[in-house]
Amino acid sequence: MTSHAARIAALALLAVVALATGVFFGGSSLAPDEVVRALLHPHADGDANAIVWSLRVPRVAIAACVGIALAVAGFLLQGMLRNPLVDPFLTGVSAGAGAAIAIGVALGIAAPFLPPLGFAAGLGTALLVAALARRGTGIDAERLILAGVSLSALFSSFVALVLLRIGRNGADAILAWLTGSLAGRGWNELFATAPYAAAGIVLALVAVPSLNALRLGTSIARAVGVDVARAQWLLLGAATLLTASAVSLSGIVGFVGLIVPHLARRVVGSDGRLALVASALLGAGLVAVGDTLSRSLFPPVEIPLGVLLAFVGVPTFLYLYLRPAGAARLWGV
Amino acid sequence: MNLCGVRLAIGERTLLEGIDLEARPGELLAIVGPNGVGKTTLLRAAAGFLPISAGAVDVGGVDVRTLSHQQRAKEITLIGDDVETPHGMSVREIVLTGRFAHRAWWDWVTGDADVFAADAALERVALSEFAQRSFDTLSSGERQRAWLALALAQDARTLLLDEPTSHLDARYALEILSLLRDLARDGRAIVAVLHDLNEAAAFADRIAVLGAGTLLACTAPTEALEPALLERAFGVAFDTFDVDGGTRVLARAPQAVLKGT
Repeated sequence: MTSHAARIAALALLAVVALATGVFFGGSSLAPDEVVRALLHPHADGDANAIVWSLRVPRVAIAACVGIALAVAGFLLQGMLRNPLVDPFLTGVSAGAGAAIAIGVALGIAAPFLPPLGFAAGLGTALLVAALARRGTGIDAERLILAGVSLSALFSSFVALVLLRIGRNGADAILAWLTGSLAGRGWNELFATAPYAAAGIVLALVAVPSLNALRLGTSIARAVGVDVARAQWLLLGAATLLTASAVSLSGIVGFVGLIVPHLARRVVGSDGRLALVASALLGAGLVAVGDTLSRSLFPPVEIPLGVLLAFVGVPTFLYLYLRPAGAARLWGV
Repeated sequence: MNLCGVRLAIGERTLLEGIDLEARPGELLAIVGPNGVGKTTLLRAAAGFLPISAGAVDVGGVDVRTLSHQQRAKEITLIGDDVETPHGMSVREIVLTGRFAHRAWWDWVTGDADVFAADAALERVALSEFAQRSFDTLSSGERQRAWLALALAQDARTLLLDEPTSHLDARYALEILSLLRDLARDGRAIVAVLHDLNEAAAFADRIAVLGAGTLLACTAPTEALEPALLERAFGVAFDTFDVDGGTRVLARAPQAVLKGT
């Protein structure tokens, strides 16, 4: 086995351990043998079964889905824009979804309709950003960043305005969404969103060989045979579908999409195919552990997932990368 | 590669027209001409990156516009002078990128053929010992050789190079030019835009002189570097000298410049 395959295998093992942790730990204390029994007999009755199969397993699956989606989206955008500071929310998906959900809450739209509303608004915003970033048949990286940042700022101020005008209850609902959380999410939400995330992953797999060439700039990419415009639209489409799926499942979970691709490149090097797989594994593991901590630390109170990941993750990242001579590792060799 | 009656325009403005130019296997063809005449644009159009307003570009006997991106990359490639410095990639990874057109998107494992092509290319440009080094650590001359290795790994029959010696000192420039001539002798067609007329004179088999919106001549160095022709292209007078049986040229500073007026 090559060293890269060994590293991917190690990351896969870590991800499995992280997901298992999410099934074994939670707000209510279950003995490990109860959890194992419930896992082995999914159709049996009892509290343990209900907790494991209706609460923990779907949440772990959702955490994995969110982690994979955000990490892969961040990886694709960082590579396509050749900018290590890009995160998946750059395309305006989260800000557009946030504004739509804030307005939806203010208008009294029922809670189950908010995630699809956020998903649609996120896609709509990304389309608008893409239209502004278009140049010729392809996408201009600088225009994409400028359009994404500007529209995100505009929509964030919508959210602020709604928060100022709305009563306490509405504000709580909006804030819970803005700080990112998997509380109350279950199989239904996962089944509704998974097809879009899966479509995003398929697009990512098709586009990732071009991404390898795009790392050398559009001029060389074109020379070696990449249809640059097609690759850019595929990558942006994949990143948008993945981000919108994650956002509609979990609200805004920052940090994952920015940091995980860096960690992945550090572990397996910068080859796009390997780094994509590593990003997905690390993302799934990280969000699963984060969500487990968020519901286990102070039950029954859940710490918002986005907040918790930022508290733990940002200092770790700063330590890893901003030590003297650390900046050169941003691209991870 | 064969350009036939090519006209290039940017918006309404015609940059070049009536360009008939052939790149022959085994030959190093230099393109020279004043700044802004459209040398880079011509290369980009020849590589199929830019649309042409009239005429045709054939590669391997086929109109370049009818080829898919990957088919085209097996026939012709262009190393521009606007290449960006990739970060965190080894020289070998960069050269392997040249194999893009030879692989399907689902072909995730780098095969022996790709590795062999990349290693052979690195050896051809004398960079084998740098294969594992990070590209960032290479000198300008080594970087230029690494880009050439990428083009060789790509295995295109025609190589277009935009000012391959522009950032190089005298020694590195000579190294690259000799290498280009050797690569041409291997059987490839090599076309390089060069700024230094004497580099073109010393190394090219033929020189294409662009000026006044068209191709003024495409012929052997001794004929292409004829003073009247160069004056027409560049707008300054030239003196020519014989060096080791070849022609060298020196631009004559206009009187106004000498007097400082």
